[in-house]
Amino acid sequence: MAAMAASAWKQYLLLVTQGLRAELADRERLVSPALFAATMLVLFSFALGEVDASLKARIYIAETFLTAFFALQLSFSRLFEPDRQDRVFDLLRTYPVSHTAWYLAKYTLVMIVGVAVLVPTLLFGAFLHHTDKAPVFSWVVCGIALLALAGLAALGVLLSALTLKANSRQVLYPLLYFPLTTPVLLAATQASLIYLEAGKTTQPLQAWLGLLTGFDVIYFTLGILLFTELVDDA
Amino acid sequence: MMLREDLRDFVVGALALALMALVWLAGFLYAPVDANQGEVYRIIFLHVPSAFAAFASAFALLWFSVVGLRKRREQSLLWSRAICEVGLILTVLTLATGSIWGKPTWGTWWTWDARLTTTFMLALLFAGWLMLYSSMAPGPGRVRACAVLGILIAADVPVIYQSVNWWRTLHQPQSILRDGGSTMDPAILRTLLVGIVIQLVAGGVLAWIRGRNLALREEVERASFEQMRA
Repeated sequence: MAAMAASAWKQYLLLVTQGLRAELADRERLVSPALFAATMLVLFSFALGEVDASLKARIYIAETFLTAFFALQLSFSRLFEPDRQDRVFDLLRTYPVSHTAWYLAKYTLVMIVGVAVLVPTLLFGAFLHHTDKAPVFSWVVCGIALLALAGLAALGVLLSALTLKANSRQVLYPLLYFPLTTPVLLAATQASLIYLEAGKTTQPLQAWLGLLTGFDVIYFTLGILLFTELVDDA
Repeated sequence: MMLREDLRDFVVGALALALMALVWLAGFLYAPVDANQGEVYRIIFLHVPSAFAAFASAFALLWFSVVGLRKRREQSLLWSRAICEVGLILTVLTLATGSIWGKPTWGTWWTWDARLTTTFMLALLFAGWLMLYSSMAPGPGRVRACAVLGILIAADVPVIYQSVNWWRTLHQPQSILRDGGSTMDPAILRTLLVGIVIQLVAGGVLAWIRGRNLALREEVERASFEQMRA
């Protein structure tokens, strides 16, 4: 049992390293979501123009979360592309690799890429909207966004594997990703908004955070259980 | 010439339709006028049963998805497809009737209300499932992918159901299954409950007929393929 766990841990580390190398080998894959996010934020700001100070928090949350969501979706949907091009995906399916280790490695990779996209998006959004009268940046909001990322990543890995062999995956991925992530997105935006408007932890905020954590756990558990089914070669 | 199975399907289908028509008639003749909304509320006898049947479709999809993952058989995928098609129709019907009711009541055809939005998501998910099905080549990979998505869709239904309690928006909170009993007039509640049961049966009949048609079509396609090969 201990030997199996050690082997799974080793496989996990190897898969994470291999994934990171593949990401770094093709820098465009890492940079393009961040550039896409920056472009979207600027476009949003152009479209909305100068907004009333009372609406700043609402606009900031809507803009940054939507931007991060689309940028992450762009990055998640291409998660298995390097594996597919090099036939690594099919080889891994036939090797005695722990599917849980495989899923966790992809999940870790997505979290790393996600943080690299999410944090600059929140900072750049704050740079565009922050004023002394209406401060919008908060580390608590960053924490909530990271909690949302945990759920989005769990679902992102699963959907990426699910649509891997579909013909119309570029249309299919957002079509499935958007409705399935709605509970996570709604809970995260509501919690962030409540915090920014109240400036402290309140009971409704705790309720939303509970819902967000609940969905993170549900999607993560489903991810581990169902990923095995998707990549099973039997 | 009509086959025995066709005749049976026709009779069962006609019976389900007749029962549904009976509920709508009861909605007009037996249920009283609502004190606040007047006559317009009567659309709930189509709207609420459709919504319940749409949710039930998601749970039926969950059942066949789990069976599909365990048994790895194409047969469960065909039933899932039939359920998804019926589920999509029922969800669209729920949205359409809700919208028709919303115009005179809320003054708008559509609002980004929590339940409306989450029900719209369910319609997108059913459509997404059907797209995934048609965009993958037949085989065990498709059975697994569709089954996984079916399970994820079912996880969305409790959110839709609870949305009116979690988000205080335009849509009224639950009025049938709530603590302290229903707030509805007993005649309205009775008609509605019978309507829900009949809509569930009608949805089941539709899915059953569609599932059988799909199985038959697959059999014909397989036979003609083997004939071509011979």
